[in-house]
Amino acid sequence: MTPPLVSIRNLTLEAATARGTAHILRGVDLDIGRGRIVGVVGESGSGKSSLASCLLRLLPTNVSRIDGQIVFDGTDLNALDDAAMNDFRGKRIAMIFQDPMTALNPLFTIGTHLVDVLRRRHPGLARDEAMARASAALVSVGIGDAPLRLRSYPHQLSGGMRQRVMIAMALAVEPDLLLADECTTALDATVEAQIVALLEGLSRGFDGSIVFISHHLGLVAQLCDDLCVMYAGTIVESGPVAEVLANPRHPYTRALLACELDDHAHGGRLVSIPGEVPDPVALHAACVFAPRCSHAIDACRASIPALREAGPGHRAACIRFEELA
Amino acid sequence: MTVAALLAFDRVSVVFGGQVQALDDITLEVRKGEIVGVVGESGSGKSTLCRVLVGLMAPTSGTVSVGGVAVRTQLTQHRLAFRRRIQMLLQDAVASLSPRMTIGRALEEPMAIHSLPRAEARARLAEILRRLGLARDVLTKFPHQISGGQARRIGVARALVLGPEIIVADEPTAGLDVSVQGELLNLLLDLQRDFGLTYLMVSHNLNLIRRVTGRIVVMYLGQIVEEAPTRELFDAPAHPYAAALISTNPAVDPDKRLRQIVLQGEMPSAVNPPSGCRFHTRCPVAQPRCSVEPPALAEIGAGHRVRCHFPYSLDPRRH
Repeated sequence: MTPPLVSIRNLTLEAATARGTAHILRGVDLDIGRGRIVGVVGESGSGKSSLASCLLRLLPTNVSRIDGQIVFDGTDLNALDDAAMNDFRGKRIAMIFQDPMTALNPLFTIGTHLVDVLRRRHPGLARDEAMARASAALVSVGIGDAPLRLRSYPHQLSGGMRQRVMIAMALAVEPDLLLADECTTALDATVEAQIVALLEGLSRGFDGSIVFISHHLGLVAQLCDDLCVMYAGTIVESGPVAEVLANPRHPYTRALLACELDDHAHGGRLVSIPGEVPDPVALHAACVFAPRCSHAIDACRASIPALREAGPGHRAACIRFEELA
Repeated sequence: MTVAALLAFDRVSVVFGGQVQALDDITLEVRKGEIVGVVGESGSGKSTLCRVLVGLMAPTSGTVSVGGVAVRTQLTQHRLAFRRRIQMLLQDAVASLSPRMTIGRALEEPMAIHSLPRAEARARLAEILRRLGLARDVLTKFPHQISGGQARRIGVARALVLGPEIIVADEPTAGLDVSVQGELLNLLLDLQRDFGLTYLMVSHNLNLIRRVTGRIVVMYLGQIVEEAPTRELFDAPAHPYAAALISTNPAVDPDKRLRQIVLQGEMPSAVNPPSGCRFHTRCPVAQPRCSVEPPALAEIGAGHRVRCHFPYSLDPRRH
């Protein structure tokens, strides 16, 4: 078996806040397979976006500690200095940001954005050649009339069109790893469907891996190969998406699935998860989900459960998953 | 209709600057105790519909009435009384609270404006806080000290302190995690049952609309394109746009997933809407007639209206 593209081990991220040290990521272990689309889901504050930020090392200045390994195709990114890290950003790792309006510079045309990205990837690329590639990139994301759009400014495009530009910019880099952080959240349902269909189509011709961060389980189920469920800075369950959703082993994953408003009969009570997400400042010596878990027993509060094998490629961090099955 | 409508839009149009047709000939009735959902893309006129209803905006033509009396008449003659009848839950719960006011002051302000007797107001507030599961110490806090879920509930509390009959909810669960949205919706449903409230609920979340509403209005470019009982709309959407919208809602269970109808292009501008049927430029089943002749909103069943020359021609269930 080929080694995964990215192998994250015991990734820990802490930040200094007025209330003390916030534990943003608490020892995350995750493999991102080559050519796989990995969906990351979890509530706000679970560390989804921080995980993506660590992969690019685009971190806020109050980060006080970053530990563990992010082995990217044989190189530990955490061991690199800033200059060396820069050789990965926008070259081998690219990101589609959540809000295209703030990620695009209002003073530059779409063409300039794309040419900048292309020239960073291929230094010395002639402007004509870069423009030709930029135009092809727009066509590949379904933007008709590319020559006109290359001369347009961000405010002249609709939200769906801007998000396509963001995707075109990320793909023009031909990255090995593409990070998509809630990239369809701000869009209308029918436009979201267009973007997801686009990503699905592009992923077939793209041999890199994609990390797709979303709070929309239905979307992840449709698009992704693997699923990783995060809670309070830890991964509580991971595995092939169909397997995890059909046979969830962690009580948190089950609770999240139960909250889906999906298709249950009209009327009836809606399900929610009682309690609140743990305070990031608090330290844990037990299962992070125990305070909200209806199956928690004393042993759950005694030590931190390991993320262990629950099936082929399927792992869950619950000491009771065999008996709860 | 045997029971008189509590809310009625009668041929309401709103035109901005003489050009942008935000609402075009909206006719809609809502009876007391109903929960009606409004869906559609941004720019389809959902928010304008809400604003016209609560009287924040006057229609260019047509009449909106509440309890049989025109909103404009009520606003000029009984302004405060009208405001008490109808309250709005705003989309951004945190931003709608003043950062300089404690939660307690924000909640007492409407009662002072409407000069409710102090003792009665206090008792009512205590009852509402209890129902919402908010501890009393929340009253001394400022908006930045509470969570998003709490801010939502404060929004609900503020809408309820005056004892309204109608709640207009604009994206009531936007920005909430799935783990807490169920709790908020249960609460809204309980309040509806106990106080006999009527809701007009705008949302992008089709799962939510399907779960809690009894009737749905689908809007496109300022027009109602379909109105149907909720179950009927999800089982058999008649308008191609409604069919596409429903098909794009991805289900977690692969067996329940529909064939996705991915529309081409984006919503045209309301300044210069397409000729004929406004949806024909994106409609996968458009025919020559559609670009010429605008379809009327026609009744095709009990409480089921559709604005299409060829209803039921797009079926998300047919693979």
